[in-house]
Amino acid sequence: MPQLIPTPWLALLIFSWTIFTAIVLPKVLKHSFPDNPTLPSKQNLSKNKWDWSWH
Amino acid sequence: MTLSLFDQFLSPVVCWIPLVAIAIMLPWILFPSPTTRWVNNRNLTSQNWFLGQSTSQIFSPINPSGHKWAILLSSLLIFLTTMNTAGLLPYTFTPTSQLSINMGFAGALWMGIVILGMRTQPTHSLGHLLPEGAPALLTPVLVIIETISLFIRPIALGVRLTANLTAGHLLIQLTSTATLALLTIMPITAIFTGVLLFLLALLEAAVALIQAYVFILLLSLYLQENV
Repeated sequence: MPQLIPTPWLALLIFSWTIFTAIVLPKVLKHSFPDNPTLPSKQNLSKNKWDWSWH
Repeated sequence: MTLSLFDQFLSPVVCWIPLVAIAIMLPWILFPSPTTRWVNNRNLTSQNWFLGQSTSQIFSPINPSGHKWAILLSSLLIFLTTMNTAGLLPYTFTPTSQLSINMGFAGALWMGIVILGMRTQPTHSLGHLLPEGAPALLTPVLVIIETISLFIRPIALGVRLTANLTAGHLLIQLTSTATLALLTIMPITAIFTGVLLFLLALLEAAVALIQAYVFILLLSLYLQENV
């Protein structure tokens, strides 16, 4: 059975892991999942004034 | 005669270029890397949705300390799904029909999971060798059986994927050879084998997706036991 031929075994193994870690992992990492946008609530309208306390 | 049917799984080399390298490197063109845009195009949005849904599905039953494995397992899911489905196109080579690639992923990840379990919580991991509620008399036998089943897991994981894809591709090759050969001799039978070929192709598409999912699901189950 050709899958049992040992010659390309190590090369295929290392090559597939290399491509997996070099290409697939970074691509998947860059996906981000932001929170769903929420409607503004009336309670947040009472804002405190920003007081520039260091001046 | 039968041996020549397996020739499709020999790692092909055309003009000194191993085609397996192209088969592994090229499909990632279909997966653009997201940038910092808030709204992406349809392709990227649908991939993002699929990735998020599958990751939350697979990782919801796992202890939160195991969620750091999410990147590895979800990118492996994408890898295997893409390799499997790309191999269904004519004249392509399926890298995941090779034992070397599948055993490489299965063995390494299984060993990582088991070592993690043994190092962080050895009693809990070893406790899985004796299922709950078993009669006390059966304990020695059960521990032996469970140990054997633990060590068979990476082999089973790798060989399952290899065998499923190999068998599928072999069946497709056989049926298509039969259809072509019968086309001139017995055309009505050729139509039946043609219908069979069509159904087989549908089955293979399903198997490609399901087997990749099963691989990841089993790894997540082993992770659940050990994390």
